[in-house]
Amino acid sequence: MLLVAMMGLRAQNVSDLIISEALAVPDSTGIMDDYGRRSAWVELFNKSTGTVNFGGCFLTDDRTNLKKSIIPKSDLRTKLGPRQSVVLFCSGNGQEGTFYAGFTLEPGKTIYLVSNDGHSIIDSLSIPARLPEGKSVVKLAMDLRQQDFQPQDSPAIPSPGMLNGDQNAATKAQAMAESDPHGWTLTLVSVSVVFSALAILWFLFWLFFDRPAKQAAKAKAKAAVPKTATGTPDGEVAAAIAMALDMEASGDDYAAIAMAVHLYMNDAIHDVEPGFITIRSTGAAWENKSRFFRKLPR
Amino acid sequence: MEHIFQSLSQFWEYTGFANCSWQNLVMIGIGLVFITLAIVKEWEPMLLVPIGFGMIVGNIPMFPGLNIGVYEDGSVLNTLYQGVKQGWYPPLIFLGIGAMTDFSALISQPRLILIGAAAQMGIFGAYLLALLFGFAPNEAGAIGIIGGADGPTAIFLSSKLAPDLMGAIAVSAYSYMALVPVIQKPIMLLLTSDKERRIKMPVPRTVSKREKIIFPIVGFLITAFIVPSGLPLLGMLFFGNLLKESGVTRRLANTASGPLIDVVTTLIGLTVGASTQADKFISFKSLLIFGLGLLSFVIATTCGVLFVKLMNLLIKNPAKKINPLIGNAGVSAVPDSARVSETVGREIDPTNHLLMHAMGPNVAGVIGSAVAAGILLSFLG
Repeated sequence: MLLVAMMGLRAQNVSDLIISEALAVPDSTGIMDDYGRRSAWVELFNKSTGTVNFGGCFLTDDRTNLKKSIIPKSDLRTKLGPRQSVVLFCSGNGQEGTFYAGFTLEPGKTIYLVSNDGHSIIDSLSIPARLPEGKSVVKLAMDLRQQDFQPQDSPAIPSPGMLNGDQNAATKAQAMAESDPHGWTLTLVSVSVVFSALAILWFLFWLFFDRPAKQAAKAKAKAAVPKTATGTPDGEVAAAIAMALDMEASGDDYAAIAMAVHLYMNDAIHDVEPGFITIRSTGAAWENKSRFFRKLPR
Repeated sequence: MEHIFQSLSQFWEYTGFANCSWQNLVMIGIGLVFITLAIVKEWEPMLLVPIGFGMIVGNIPMFPGLNIGVYEDGSVLNTLYQGVKQGWYPPLIFLGIGAMTDFSALISQPRLILIGAAAQMGIFGAYLLALLFGFAPNEAGAIGIIGGADGPTAIFLSSKLAPDLMGAIAVSAYSYMALVPVIQKPIMLLLTSDKERRIKMPVPRTVSKREKIIFPIVGFLITAFIVPSGLPLLGMLFFGNLLKESGVTRRLANTASGPLIDVVTTLIGLTVGASTQADKFISFKSLLIFGLGLLSFVIATTCGVLFVKLMNLLIKNPAKKINPLIGNAGVSAVPDSARVSETVGREIDPTNHLLMHAMGPNVAGVIGSAVAAGILLSFLG
């Protein structure tokens, strides 16, 4: 249970971070750090839908020294919002600020992002040895849910701090407007899904509850048909009575007996009392207020 | 003396009279009409009184920047409005609805579930029409949900898909829910013959406690697995119902179906009403939304009734035929549309009680509209 709980905690935290982009050799168009230099940089991306604090994590380019450069814990800016990215400059001096790593990037090396425990590698990114100047290596989402990010072979135009891939990608609604301008596809799919969901519900309840209940009721009703001593059903008894009456009784007798048989057969009369007792309050002498009045002295 | 005049003049600038526009007056007038309808005609008073008064509150002309308006960050009204904007209120209302709803009518006649699905055609009919009128797909989806006849669902979906249109959509949805008897009856009479209206349905079987407990669990699992995006609504609806049916959480069920839903209904009504500030509400788009909302109700009712007629064609046993007057109840305005079925049915044959039968598609409609909202959210959100 503890293991599961720990896994859960990790899942909501730094394990959702990836190294999404890196630029090793900046050119004259690259972004400048706070000191006016065009340094190499790495970009971290939070692929979760919750905020992640990466303070206390480590960056390194040396597998044997995972604690090479620590990201300060006490800076509020280390909280990274959902689907947001942050750029850390690899200036070689981690003391320059929160977003500076204590090593420089070189083509052919691999960068590691290490958890705040100091030994769990969260993610890594290898920089190709022949990465051209001014180009970056990026990871792109391979799935619709944007959870599986894979590094791309071809060098990319740097996009520090921005979502990698197509910056002008259409929103779902825009994509729908293009692919289904009149709405028929969405309508057909949606109606089918609504019907399917409710039809499955109907089928399950019909199969497991409604049908068995009705069959049981039918069987019970069949078993409950009262039999006379000779095994003759009530219906036949009623028919026999009717025939006998037909020969000797009057119209009023027919009506009275038919009503009695009808009530009996339809379970409208019964010998079992409902079990309710109504207590009607009746006036007692104790409640008579006039008894409590005192006569005034004359 | 001059100072006094200056002060008075400054005070005048802050009054409602100085900042009033004709749009404000129109909206206040509409708010008064809502309140009048609720009190005099008793049309959905629980909704129309808070919404109507909210409209008046939201349209009192005021000097901007005093941090009191519903759209001003940090104001009291704005804080209360976050429940609408962020979509907290609708799931809480669904929790209460679940705790109040008896699904027995549905469980005893599972075939009636399909009527609830058919009536959701109103949503997609309005979606198609909204696209035709030039709305973007996300806006069209938010407008279409008016046809679900479910205020909380409409607010939930429009807050996600088209927040700018939420005021008009919410007011439209609640207004037409209040007008269900007026809208549905003529359609029902138009689409059914006298013989069909007299169909007497068999008395539904008694539903066991075990079935009632299993229903919310199975219902939730199936619908949520198919449409996870409807989770906030479906989860709360079925959770509320489980609280009610389990029999061991009576206090929780009573709170959800009583004080909680009352509080949230009051707040949602007031803040939705207040969000209809004239400058944001009075537009041609709002008028179109009202028109499309009406059409969505008409389509939903029509499809529900026609679907029952179609089912009857497939049912061979005359004793098992379904009265098409319960088709309208697939529109999930609980329990108003079921009440319309009962009323119209009894007008034709006073001994024909359809309420219990109509409650089946009615509660199925609640599930159906939440599922439809989830689908639209997953496609357009």
